[in-house]
Amino acid sequence: MFKKILIANRGEIAVRIIKACQEMDITAVAVYSDADRSSLHVQTADEAVYIGAAPAKESYLNIDRIIQAGKDTGSEAIHPGYGFLAENAVFAERCEQENIVFIGPNSKAMKLVGDKIRSRQAMEKAGIPIIPGMKSELKDISKSKLEAEKIGYPVMIKASAGGGGKGMRIVYKEAGLKTALEAGKREAKAAFGNDSVYLEKYIEEPRHIEFQILADNFGNTVHIFERECSIQRRHQKIVEESPSPALEPQLREKMGAIAKKVINVTGYNNAGTVEFLLDKNKKFYFLEVNARLQVEHPVTELISGIDLVHQQIEIASGKKLAFKQKELQQKGHAIECRIYAEDPTNNFLPSPGKILFLKEPAGPGVRHDCGIYSDSDVPIYYDPILAKLIVWAADRDKACRRMKKALDDYVVLGCKTNIEFLKDVIDHPLFKEGKTTTDFIKDNFPDWHPPEKPQSLKELALAVAAFNSQDPNKQGRGYRAEPKETLSPWHKLGKWSIGGGK
Amino acid sequence: MDYEFIIDGDLHEIFLEKKDEQFYISLGEESKRADMRWISDNVVSLLTGGKSYCIYLASDKKQCHISINGHNFLVEDLSDEEEVFTGGEHGSEEAALFIKAPMPGKVIKINVKEKQAVRKNQTLAVVEAMKMENEIKSSIDGQVKKINAAPGDLVDPDMVLIELETKS
Repeated sequence: MFKKILIANRGEIAVRIIKACQEMDITAVAVYSDADRSSLHVQTADEAVYIGAAPAKESYLNIDRIIQAGKDTGSEAIHPGYGFLAENAVFAERCEQENIVFIGPNSKAMKLVGDKIRSRQAMEKAGIPIIPGMKSELKDISKSKLEAEKIGYPVMIKASAGGGGKGMRIVYKEAGLKTALEAGKREAKAAFGNDSVYLEKYIEEPRHIEFQILADNFGNTVHIFERECSIQRRHQKIVEESPSPALEPQLREKMGAIAKKVINVTGYNNAGTVEFLLDKNKKFYFLEVNARLQVEHPVTELISGIDLVHQQIEIASGKKLAFKQKELQQKGHAIECRIYAEDPTNNFLPSPGKILFLKEPAGPGVRHDCGIYSDSDVPIYYDPILAKLIVWAADRDKACRRMKKALDDYVVLGCKTNIEFLKDVIDHPLFKEGKTTTDFIKDNFPDWHPPEKPQSLKELALAVAAFNSQDPNKQGRGYRAEPKETLSPWHKLGKWSIGGGK
Repeated sequence: MDYEFIIDGDLHEIFLEKKDEQFYISLGEESKRADMRWISDNVVSLLTGGKSYCIYLASDKKQCHISINGHNFLVEDLSDEEEVFTGGEHGSEEAALFIKAPMPGKVIKINVKEKQAVRKNQTLAVVEAMKMENEIKSSIDGQVKKINAAPGDLVDPDMVLIELETKS
């Protein structure tokens, strides 16, 4: 087993990995940029190395600096966390060359799964279901009928140059195909100056379902069941859960087996995630492999009792998996909410600044993976994720209630967060019924505003404000000393809206 | 003692008096009694009408942030301010003409040219911060008077990126 591991990350995930190392009697080395000298991961670690200026390119993405920090501290392995260098095959290769163990998949498998076209080809060859579609643009409109039939209706017309929904058309029947193609081509031409389009299967009411995989270096592979991550905003997951309300045992078994096959086809080892889309008829399609520890990994840990970071370290150190597929159980229900520094009333703009006060929710079945503390700064340079709140309960209904209560108990002062928005998501009737698709936020919260605050509480807030003003020791009470120069003037600005008065 | 506060944008007056370890709170016509005490620097326990509230508060220079039962309030104390804030979004007309960055970040793209006519909600520029690209939109129908930023510039929220004018 390793004696020392360097954690090439920051924020809540670095803290979570550092704690796992310490539990395993492994010395944990943090790295930090100028923006993070006072951050929680540096305080939590056993050793800390400065690696450069605040912009990620000069610190957390600087391969040379991180390798040097690993060598200088005598670290035997590097855990990349998620984001930054976690799925960078050049970094994984470099670790291999420098004789430092990269805690993650081998670089060859990482390259393969990171290449969408190659991995799609490999999956198709192996008989893994992928979203049916054309491999090249539709040059001849007269062939579209045949292509659409091959794919199966409904089909989606997509602009080859495109993105942002421009040129996109959904066609349910052959009769509408020609008109839609012409309109799609015109739109693509207008938007991108290029009218080439292609056809792809349109997935109706899609759910995002992913399977957690562990694979050791000896060819043993298990899946630790699914996570449903359909609640997304701008393709960013915000709520995840396990089990998925959409999976029956048989389907779960089938998808799990396919997920393991995906991993074996790619020669993948360590922890990984196989993502699928599931349509309303319960047909599923492979999307991609995430070659890292996922943000939402705690959900799997709570329903399975398996510590994924411990497992990653064990596997990387050359141990065999200590359990077999049939020994694994999905117990109870877990839900995760991602806590972001962002303003849900202002288009979810990031809201960096200073956390004046934090009270973490706690209690039976409540886990809080956290990267902040009272008085900490939220720098502008990195992802606005602050923490993750994860609950476990015996069933889904109880887990929803527990999450709602935990969000109610969660206090962050001084920095805008999405907590109130999350409460409304968890409380939404369709969420409670488990009717979740990737369009859930778009369809149900097109223009979210916080609920009206009870008048009685407003009065109490005024009373406490007066009580606070009256307090002779107010310098030491609620009033905190004026923060020193922080990295962001944001918190001094009060409410902002784009373009000013609305 | 009388206090004047702006709470979530509205001006309120409140009278608070301490008598026999109890606080008497008067808001307009109504008056109630409460037992309030500090639990720690940022926590107040308040008992009133048989109900118990745990209230969290923290202040920065200007405002007091207060959280009760999962609801957050922003309170500004006007009592010892020299300049009385009139409330409301004064100057919003002008603000509409000066498009500023919503946050510190980097300009990725300027989508308009000087003298170009723009529609309300048209994207004027894209600013990146915290790994996210944010579109800066026009708040008026009008035209671009002046552009003060170029792609690659690092901008602060008080910096005017684009000046607009109403079409004459």
